[in-house]
Amino acid sequence: MPVDSFRFFPRSLATWVQQLEVPPEGPVPWTPLPRPVRECRFALVTTAGLYVKGLEPPFDLEREARQPTWGDPSFRRIPRDVRQEQIGVSHFHINPRDILQDLNVALPIQRFLELAWEGVIGSLTETHYSFMGYQGYPADLSGWRQGYGPQVASLMKAEGVDCVLITPV
Amino acid sequence: MLARIFEASGLSTVIVTMMPYWSERIGAPRTLAVEFPLGHPIGWPGDREMQMTVCRAAVQLLEEAAGPGEIRHLEGLTWPQDPDEARRDWQPPEPAPIIRLIRERLRALREAQEGSSGGPR
Repeated sequence: MPVDSFRFFPRSLATWVQQLEVPPEGPVPWTPLPRPVRECRFALVTTAGLYVKGLEPPFDLEREARQPTWGDPSFRRIPRDVRQEQIGVSHFHINPRDILQDLNVALPIQRFLELAWEGVIGSLTETHYSFMGYQGYPADLSGWRQGYGPQVASLMKAEGVDCVLITPV
Repeated sequence: MLARIFEASGLSTVIVTMMPYWSERIGAPRTLAVEFPLGHPIGWPGDREMQMTVCRAAVQLLEEAAGPGEIRHLEGLTWPQDPDEARRDWQPPEPAPIIRLIRERLRALREAQEGSSGGPR
């Protein structure tokens, strides 16, 4: 049975999301796997608004509170050896409780380390990334498209990454 | 959108999402759909078995997808929470600023309409 995107949505929120305009984006880009997955290096990217306390500041929720039609387009680095207690969540639009209890819920670092140990994937790279999924109303994706998205792509490629798991929240 | 940017730069991507709705509309290279509440793409906190099932399925899709746009629906996993409770639980403790702003505007609109029609009867 196909997944119902709105199964856990309050009806009013579902209605609102379904009336949002989605501009056409053109053909879907495609990069075939360069080698078997068991030889690939993976990076993980989420939009859960994660940051590492003491390493980088949270996403700019102060500005979003003053200017609710804006969302922070920047990104944060999440090192592979991050400890659970170092993780912060700066995101107005979700309940952070379960991610603060178990990072793997949104950024499955430990799970992918296990896949690497099993030989299912080649390796898990050192640096992973979080964006913050609310990009304004109406959504303004220019920050991701023109700046921060290509920047993170370059950073991942500089670490030899082949494949990216993306976990929007 | 991030998947499209990364894929166009030469990386192979797979999205794990609770909302395949967006992949259907925007177009994503490879999408694994999971029927979980928002904020929980990989599953229940502390449930290693559920999380590994999702991660293995994502890697498998990456390996098997023959071309762009495939959306695979992951079956066999049930969210371990009453749906009504899950619906309340993923939502933030306080409404987001944009939600508050929209509610205020709707309230002002309703008050203006009631004022122009002579007020409530």
